[in-house]
Amino acid sequence: MTSRRRLSPQALLVLAALRKQPSEWQHGYALASETGLKSGTLYPILIRLADQGLVEARWQEEPTPGRPRRHLYRLTADGAATAAQALAAVPARWRPARRPAAALDASQPARRGAAAPAVS
Amino acid sequence: MSWLDRARARLLPAARRDWAEALWAEADEVPAGWERLAWRAGGVRLIAREARLGHRTGVLLLVAAAAWAAWPPPAASLSHGAVNQGDVIITIALLAGLPLLIRRLLGPPTSRAARWVRAGFCAAVVVIMPAKAVAEQLIGATPRGGVDLRTFDLITQGSPAPGSASGGPDWGGEVIVLLITACYLAVVLALTSRRANVAPASVAAGAGAGLVLGVVMYAVDPLGGNKYATNPWLHGSATDPLVILAWAVLLTAPAVAAALAAKRCPVPDDPGPAATARAWQGVAAGLVCTGTGALTAAVLGTGTTALMIKSALVRGWLFHGAHLTASAVYGRELYAGMDVQFYGAICVVFPLIGVATSMIGAATAMPRSLADGGPSGPG
Repeated sequence: MTSRRRLSPQALLVLAALRKQPSEWQHGYALASETGLKSGTLYPILIRLADQGLVEARWQEEPTPGRPRRHLYRLTADGAATAAQALAAVPARWRPARRPAAALDASQPARRGAAAPAVS
Repeated sequence: MSWLDRARARLLPAARRDWAEALWAEADEVPAGWERLAWRAGGVRLIAREARLGHRTGVLLLVAAAAWAAWPPPAASLSHGAVNQGDVIITIALLAGLPLLIRRLLGPPTSRAARWVRAGFCAAVVVIMPAKAVAEQLIGATPRGGVDLRTFDLITQGSPAPGSASGGPDWGGEVIVLLITACYLAVVLALTSRRANVAPASVAAGAGAGLVLGVVMYAVDPLGGNKYATNPWLHGSATDPLVILAWAVLLTAPAVAAALAAKRCPVPDDPGPAATARAWQGVAAGLVCTGTGALTAAVLGTGTTALMIKSALVRGWLFHGAHLTASAVYGRELYAGMDVQFYGAICVVFPLIGVATSMIGAATAMPRSLADGGPSGPG
């Protein structure tokens, strides 16, 4: 059975940021800095991506002394494939002009006039 | 931030608590000042969003508005007021307590159809509560046309007077109505829970057929079972085809829903459990169908009655073309107000019909080998 996942531009930013270092575990604050998203926007997106099996999460095993454990995120294999496919279909006009552009630039070159990113 | 931990534990489902904790833990990495404050504000927003606080607040406000509308006015007679107060308090307790109890015992709903049907049944109970109260309060209230109208009606129609043996508050009837409400809520919550194992298709088939049944029943008797009150809606012989249609829908809708549900039920290899599974899906669809039908008719009927009592516009729409005297209008309001009990009666009778006809419907959908109780073999 084929399921279609519609990804918002913000979700694409998160996927693109995670895709820069696909094998590395990343922190929430680093992702927020990379994408320019506020915490109240970033975390719901991470939750949905994890629910869809695109992102995996775990707790830091050895926290910095005096600091709480941090939650870490990275793309799953399915997430990496979905990110590649979705980001390839991102129209150029969706690219934010400021900081988050760095995240999208890590993906494949965008095709102008492509359809809205929906991945089967 | 122990208050936040408590809020997180209380409001968020277990699968979401880690995420809120993760966001909060990350705040230590954010530069102090406005940026950290904004990060933490995002955490509060996350909890509100994942706990669906906006949705919960909306539901609470709607229930509060319904309770406020159902609460007896200070001018209501003491005995009728006490009945309405008891009704409001117990209905809200049922709406608040039963979902928690059933979730604990039988698990949460497992499909979107199940959640919609649950929400629909609860919304119906919330709507019926003030509508019924308006109809009941009419019986004890002074007519718009003055107290003489009440006396005239008493003499000519013999309708019961408030405070008399036949016109006082009906505590027994109120207890029965609350029992019906509790049974409806408990049964629909149980049928749509995880442990009931009713397929989403069965719930959807039952609900769809039930909506058709409810609308047809309402069209026959929009103001209760009393034809004196309902007559302006459909004149004379115009009612007959609709009555025949209503009977046909009442008898066939649960059977059709049951047959659809049984047919779509995945069949295990063993014929015994397969037959049981199909029969269960069929009966569940039939119950959802007749429950939905009865509640739809009750919501529309009690709602129309309450609006007729409160709104001149609705009275004009219902009695279109009929030049009724003030006494006749009052008489119809009074009869319709007393006849909201009719909807309580159909809420009892419909599910009984539903169980019987859905078993027939489920049986017709069984493959011959299952209906005979075993696989058909040679010889």
